[in-house]
Amino acid sequence: MKKNAIGFYFNVLAAILGIAGLVCTVLSSSGDNALSGLSTVIAAGVVAIALVIVAIYSPMKNGNHDPIAAVSVIAAIALFMYVFNQCVSQRVMLIAGLFSFNANNAAGWIVFSFVVGAAVCLLAANILLVIGSFCKSVK
Amino acid sequence: MNKKFGKAFGRGLTSATCFTLSFSLVLGGVLEANAGTIDTYLGTASEVFVSDNNEENPLYDKFTPPAELLNEDGTGNSTALIQAAIDLNRREVAEGAVLLKNDNDVLPLDSGSNVTLLGIRSYVNLLGSSFGVKAQGPYISLEQALSQNKTDFANTIATTQVTDATSRDVATVVNKTMNAWTGEEFEFEGAGFNVNSTMLDIYEELNKTYNHANNENAEEVYNAAEPSLDEIAAVNGSYKDSFIQYGDAAIVVIGRPSAESKDFLPGGVAEGLDYESGEPLSLTKNERDAIELAKECSDKVIVLLQSSSSVEIGSLKNDPDVDAILWIGAPGCYGMLGVADILCGRVSPSGGLFDIFTTYNMSAPAMQNMGKMYYTNTDGTITRTGGVLGFVPGAYTIEAEGIYVGYRYYETRYYDAVAGKGNATSPVGAYASDTEWNYDNEVTYGFGYGLSYTDFTYEFEGEPVFDISVDEETGAPSAFATFNVKVTNVGDVAGKTPVQIYGQAPYTEGGVEKSAIQLLNFEKTETLEPGQSEVVPVVVDLQYIASYDETYDNGDGTTGTYIMDPGNYYFSVGNGAHDALNHIMAAQGMDASKMSGTGNAAQAYVKNITEDFISKTLFSVSKTGYPISNQLPYADWNYYQPGEVTYLSRTDWAGTFPKTYDAMTLTNEQLIKNLNGQTYTLQTGDDTSDILWGQDNGIQFYEMYGVPYDDPKWDQLLDQLTLEEAMYIFTFGGPSIPGAESIGTVETYMTENAGNGIAVALNATKDPNAPWAIGSDDPNNMWHPEVFANAPIGASTFNPELMYELGVFTGIESLFTGINILWGPGLNTHRHAYNGRNGEYYSEDPVLSGVAAMEFAIGALEYGLVAAPKHFAFNDQESERGGVSPYMTEQRAREVELRAYQIAFEATKYDTEDYDAGMRGLMTSFSKIGSIECTTSEGLMTEILANEWGFIGYAVTDIYDDVDLWSAVLNSGTTCFDTRGQSGFYKTTTLQSSNLFQNLIEGRGLDANFIDGDANLQLKLKEAVHKNIYAWTESHLMNRYNATTRVEKQMTWWRATYYGIAGVSGVLMVVGAAMYVMSSKGKEEEV
Repeated sequence: MKKNAIGFYFNVLAAILGIAGLVCTVLSSSGDNALSGLSTVIAAGVVAIALVIVAIYSPMKNGNHDPIAAVSVIAAIALFMYVFNQCVSQRVMLIAGLFSFNANNAAGWIVFSFVVGAAVCLLAANILLVIGSFCKSVK
Repeated sequence: MNKKFGKAFGRGLTSATCFTLSFSLVLGGVLEANAGTIDTYLGTASEVFVSDNNEENPLYDKFTPPAELLNEDGTGNSTALIQAAIDLNRREVAEGAVLLKNDNDVLPLDSGSNVTLLGIRSYVNLLGSSFGVKAQGPYISLEQALSQNKTDFANTIATTQVTDATSRDVATVVNKTMNAWTGEEFEFEGAGFNVNSTMLDIYEELNKTYNHANNENAEEVYNAAEPSLDEIAAVNGSYKDSFIQYGDAAIVVIGRPSAESKDFLPGGVAEGLDYESGEPLSLTKNERDAIELAKECSDKVIVLLQSSSSVEIGSLKNDPDVDAILWIGAPGCYGMLGVADILCGRVSPSGGLFDIFTTYNMSAPAMQNMGKMYYTNTDGTITRTGGVLGFVPGAYTIEAEGIYVGYRYYETRYYDAVAGKGNATSPVGAYASDTEWNYDNEVTYGFGYGLSYTDFTYEFEGEPVFDISVDEETGAPSAFATFNVKVTNVGDVAGKTPVQIYGQAPYTEGGVEKSAIQLLNFEKTETLEPGQSEVVPVVVDLQYIASYDETYDNGDGTTGTYIMDPGNYYFSVGNGAHDALNHIMAAQGMDASKMSGTGNAAQAYVKNITEDFISKTLFSVSKTGYPISNQLPYADWNYYQPGEVTYLSRTDWAGTFPKTYDAMTLTNEQLIKNLNGQTYTLQTGDDTSDILWGQDNGIQFYEMYGVPYDDPKWDQLLDQLTLEEAMYIFTFGGPSIPGAESIGTVETYMTENAGNGIAVALNATKDPNAPWAIGSDDPNNMWHPEVFANAPIGASTFNPELMYELGVFTGIESLFTGINILWGPGLNTHRHAYNGRNGEYYSEDPVLSGVAAMEFAIGALEYGLVAAPKHFAFNDQESERGGVSPYMTEQRAREVELRAYQIAFEATKYDTEDYDAGMRGLMTSFSKIGSIECTTSEGLMTEILANEWGFIGYAVTDIYDDVDLWSAVLNSGTTCFDTRGQSGFYKTTTLQSSNLFQNLIEGRGLDANFIDGDANLQLKLKEAVHKNIYAWTESHLMNRYNATTRVEKQMTWWRATYYGIAGVSGVLMVVGAAMYVMSSKGKEEEV
């Protein structure tokens, strides 16, 4: 642990947030508000988390800013954004409705809360990955 | 550059720009998928409908705005357009406001009067609804209309309540409906009064905490939010001093809002406000105190009532110190000018009440079953969930009042009370007395009632002319009676008045239920000078006095139809239903001492109708020649679970007065299946080879203008469509509607709300290429056309010509905004006063509502706007609106709820030998009819709407409604889904990708092969698409189409923004990657 630099911790946090974001995405997909292509979304999220884990451990073996970690982070960012996109874009009209004609949609508000959770976690995960990319992972 | 730094920076930059690139692509995807809606709200045009305009392919030659709204060069004149809207809204309210009381002729007030306005609504005028029929943009306030002569639009922009709370105490956010007005100001002639500014200043200060808005909604726990006298004094302790100078009259404004999505509920009042009857439509203590304050201020106390429902004002009627009451509804942006016209006497009031005003709204039989009621065994029986809208399953209401809705109940019970029949005087159902039911106690002002500044006499001029015939080929009846009514102004000032013709069919105890009085038709006089007379012909369609007998044996295996019982039919002309009934009672020689008011037998006419004159079953065939029989048996709760509901009957008012059915249990399997949406089975193995798709017949859409619906050319056009194209047109019904390459149509934003004007600002027009389009260089380009009054004002005018004018003007607005289908007007009838949406619907009476909508729609179509009235049908409450089951008898359904639509859709008044007039659009209801969704009811959508009434046109669901029942909706005759927000068809949005249609009841998602094996649905699809496209061809969409029509993308600011971010990100990403690679080359030290 003493050899780990700040980039490592950013990546670990990003992985945790990515997991949380994926869980929220899955929880937002229920009943009438099921996500189209949920299995693909889950697969993308799982791969993204795996890539972040690779980005966490690869520098320990290959040093800072090694190509494997660099590519893993970029791919993870793209995949997290894919999950974010699927979770949010399929709910745009639901959310618009909640704030206008459909404010009484109790199930919709629950979905909305998970969508917000997923969006925040996934965006935060990506921001941490970006910051971590500028930083060293090992001392 | 340090290689270590370069490597780290390159990697970081690549990651960062990967993020921004991804984000911009996500953002772009969302924006493109909702581009049509975004354009409407942002005033952008992301896609432009382009057609070359030349001699061979002329454009904009089919519908054009009137010359007076255009400049000489044919461009739009926004100044004239806005001025015309101001003038029309002014007349709408001047004719629609209803003078209920005017003791000692306190009104009109003299010019130059010094008046004090009281009540916070006098400062924050209620103009429209916070959702639905909203009054948008700059407006003219009551104070300005009374005392000014020029608009101050820049500083007077309508606000709207934005709240998702059920209580005002929880959340009330107020927004402006328009950011700013930088356009022209307009001169007007106000009332010429001087208004007490002290009180206005106080209310302005108080509203900083009360936060009232010009557009508000009902609340389930209602807080009228009227400041107390102590609060007023706390702002200015010497406010009463101002009364000395402004004491010529005190005008108190009381308001009750109305809007989509929420109802008032029985007993739903905020604590501590001391509502007079404990109900939200009675006055609070602070409101009563404001009236008492008015008495201190002046000996002339005038109450202005802003509501779209019956407000409980019995105490004001009986208060000798309240001199005048004027109901003004929610008058829209410029309607206060009409109010001013009445208050100063420039116009004599001539409106009649749209609903009966009762002393206690809870005394209505309908109110015994209103609100949120759920089956006791919803859990475990109702497996169908609330759909994407998340509605609560298992909600219902038993409409046990039968046909006795609104005035039909009070007047019929009154009639029987005087006649001494049916236990009518029993205290059961009485709210004002424990010992008896008495009309005077229960009713404040009757339906259709209204005062004038002058007096009129009404007399029948000769015998009515009956014109009765039957089409030999089809058996379709045509039965009309024309009553010529001589109206004479016997007062001192000029004025106009409605001429309302009512009727009474012979009732036999124990027979078919019949109202003792019902409106049959109406007209309005011109302005009559004192002493002047006018003979007004009023044509009555006798079908509306026929009764629907559900048990009638048609002899062909079917049951139920309209009957005309032989006997004495009474007709009368009166100032409202009660007055008209009294005339009939006088003609029948009933005991005058027991009557409320007096009758004049000369104002009634009796016709003995025998089988020879009109056969009992004349109306068993519709005007289209289609035999009429029961189509909605499942509407009645007793159909599946007999004997569990008792409907109100004249035979025994006391014994059948509705009880509250708030604990119904589902036991019948078919009933449960219906509620679970299992009404259609998708076929997979039909032979569909005879159904042609994708043919090459060489016909294009633009060639179909003016082609009759039954012309064979339509078959050729429809055969060109591919099955997938047809599915797109059915599935995505607007506002953005998909194009179909095979017939030369392009994706177009066609539809919008609302009944009080087109909800698109001039600068967001969907037809920016129109010669008259108002460009961004026009100072008034931000004007929003949704400015007219809530619907009850229009109804209360009782003026068909004015109703037509409102439709015409909305049609003109649609040309300026490029909208060719209007989701409006509202056409449901008011079942009770607590429906939060009463402001969007005209009246409790189907004839008044139906005529108003018909005139509006025919007027709108003159300028190529297809009006699609909503919500067909039975949207009797907003509570649990998304699937509530209203149970009722078919008689009730047909004679009350559906008759309004029937009148509008048949539009018999405008039929000619060569042209079958009618409306070309409708929107269905969220609600069910009984246990079946209205959207999936074949009885409603095909048998009644299409076959009986001959409706041809666009029939869209409400937003996202019943998307899980795609097959059943198509099967019923509904022609498309409202898919607001969806656009980018075939690309961003596909049948497979739209999340609306991924959870169908068949257990799979929608795709282009979904109905490959269902011949019935393919044929229904062809018919649905035919009706949709036909409606388009009747509209001004055809102005824009020719052989060169195409869509071109435009670079809007939001598109440029995400393009820019994506482009810059992409470039920087490459740069970052290059830096990383370059820095990685050669030897480097790693730590």
